[in-house]
Formats: sequence, C-alpha cells, structure tokens
Amino acid sequence: MTSIEREFQIAPIVQESVVHNSRTLFNLQSLTASLFGVGAGILGLESYYGFLFYIICSLLTTLLFYVLRVAPSSLPAGKGAFDTSQYFRSPYEFWTGGLLNGLAGFILTWTLFFGLVRA
Amino acid sequence: MAQVPVQTIHRDPQLFYWILVPITIVMILTGVLRHYATVLMATAPKKLDQKTIREQRSLLHGINVRSNFHVLSKRSFTTRRDALTTAYESGAYLKDPERRGQAPPNPMSDPSSMEGMMGMMKNQMAMIIPNTLIMSWINAFFSGYVIMKLPFPLTIKFKSMLQAGVATKDMDPRWMSSISWYFLCIFGLQSVFNFLLGNDNAASQMAQQMGQMAPPTGQMFGPGVDPDKQFIAEVENLAVIEHYSVLDGVEQRLLEGITV
Repeated sequence: MTSIEREFQIAPIVQESVVHNSRTLFNLQSLTASLFGVGAGILGLESYYGFLFYIICSLLTTLLFYVLRVAPSSLPAGKGAFDTSQYFRSPYEFWTGGLLNGLAGFILTWTLFFGLVRA
Repeated sequence: MAQVPVQTIHRDPQLFYWILVPITIVMILTGVLRHYATVLMATAPKKLDQKTIREQRSLLHGINVRSNFHVLSKRSFTTRRDALTTAYESGAYLKDPERRGQAPPNPMSDPSSMEGMMGMMKNQMAMIIPNTLIMSWINAFFSGYVIMKLPFPLTIKFKSMLQAGVATKDMDPRWMSSISWYFLCIFGLQSVFNFLLGNDNAASQMAQQMGQMAPPTGQMFGPGVDPDKQFIAEVENLAVIEHYSVLDGVEQRLLEGITV
C-alpha cells in the first residue's frame, strides 16, 4: 500500500464534485470559445493571427476564472498562488484543457463571421 | 517566391440567406430533435423480479465491502466477510439454485438481451437517418458552387474534401462549398447545444461516437454470465484482502496536526 493511496482513503475525493467542477469549466470554455470566434471573425483576423487571438483569449478566460472563482476560496485555505488543486485534479486540465475543448466551436463561428463580414 | 495574388470571387449576397442560414438552422434543429428523440425513446429499465435483484445486489454488496474495507473496523469487516463468503459458497443468493453448475443459456435466445440490442439499434438509427437525409438534401440542392472562404490557409489535399462538386483546378483550397459548412457544423455546434439543452444532452453525434468507443459498463449482469462463477471469484477476492483501517494510528495523526 502506497502512502498516496492511504492519503486518498483518509481524505477521500468525491467523484461527483470533481465532475461538476470540470463540467462548469467546460461549459464556460465552450461558450466563450464561440464568442471569441465571433470576435475574431468581425476583426477579420486570418490564419495565425486568428489562432493566436484564440489562444490568448482562452488563457485570459482561464486566468479570470482562477482570479474570480478559484482564488477567493483557495488562497485562504492555504494553497499557493495559481494552485488549483483545491477544485481540480490536474493543473494542466485547468489551464490548457479549454484550448482543445473550444477549438471546433471557435473555428465554426470564426468562419461564419469571417464569411459574413469580409468575404 | 512570387507573391500569389489573393483570389477574390464575387458572390451573390443572397447565397448567405438561402444556403448558409438554412443549413445552420437545420443542423441546430436536428440536434435538438435528436436530443428529444433520444430522451423519448429511452426505455425505462426493465422491472426485475425479486430473486434477480437479490442476486445482483448481493454481488454488489460483496464488491462494495471489498473496495471500502478500510472504513470498517477489523471486527465488522471479518464478520461481513464471513457471512458473505458462506452465502456465496452455498449459493444462497442465486436466482435458481438448482441450476448451479450448468452452462449459462445462450445470450441470443434470452429476450432480455434483445432489449439491449434494440436500444443500441435505436441510438444508431437516430444518428444515421438524419445524417443521411441532410447529406443528400445538401447534395441535391446546394452542390456545385462555393459559398465562403475559410479564414486560415489549408494545403491542397483538402481541396477534394472542401470543394466537392466544384471542378475548378486553380481555386484556392480555402474556398469551401456548402457540404464543408455542414461538416464544420457537425464538429462545432457542440457548444451551441451545451448552451441550448444543458450539458448532458444527446444532441451531438460526436459525443455519441465517443460513448460508443468506451466499452459498455453494464456488462456485469449481462446475459451469458454465470452468477455462480462471479460469486466464487468474489469469494477469492474477499479472502485475499489484508485488512487495515483508516483509523489505525488516528491519535498520532491528530496530535501531529495540533500545533500549540
């Protein structure tokens, strides 16, 4: 028996809460990705600039999510800055998971509004 | 390398109102329809008789005892294990104890397994029929011209996919026909469905295909599985557990946690 397993048995993690947390994040990310697509299309961004816009905006959203929703309760609980382990299992899932989740929605609305506005 | 001039094609603005908007609306409405069709067609779980329920629950009881043994004290765990082992080995929980040791019935002849297959067929149908209809609808009405331009460049390989039905050799692969807008809609409308129907919707076919990749988890009590063998296996699993409790040494941990 490893000590990590022991640690989980002493302080168990409720699976439903983990699912709920990541689902909330996923909803936010997919919705904002579509809106970023609208923005990129109206600005008329093409190729690399569009994807760059998406990456920056998506990271900014995650940062805002951290600052507004996670930090107020995780910092007093003794977690360090930018530590999301109170609500999310892996930091990569939190910080970069949104990039892939919303990409399809982003491309859809980007193409649509690019077509409507520019071409 | 010489700069390739940007191709511009003058298109009727009416193309948007008569192609883009209808396809998008149809795709969204199909997703909504698929969601509600799945909800309505979902069969309620079949009512099982008392003996079957007892058989399944007692096996689950054993599994739960095995996986959560650390919250039980030594004495209560041993009591539970002894009781379960005795009952499992004597076959007290079996649905029909006189059939012990016989081969399980053929799964194809069991009517309850047909039920499950019908459910799978229904889901498949709900996915295939709208797809085929919309594809042929788009091919019949909207093929043969480009409607818009992708905002990012693609390699020449995509030309046959994006410009199906447009036989123009020198056209930039960025121009796309209505069928590729349909494909974009398939991939990208998930967020719209999330917004419209809530998160656990059945609208997106992508999510359904992902679900089919994962092996079904309900196989435990499926037909063709001999419950007696499962019970015997569970007896072995219970027997090899080396019991400890999370409360072992809790006083020590508590005292370590207190700082004066």
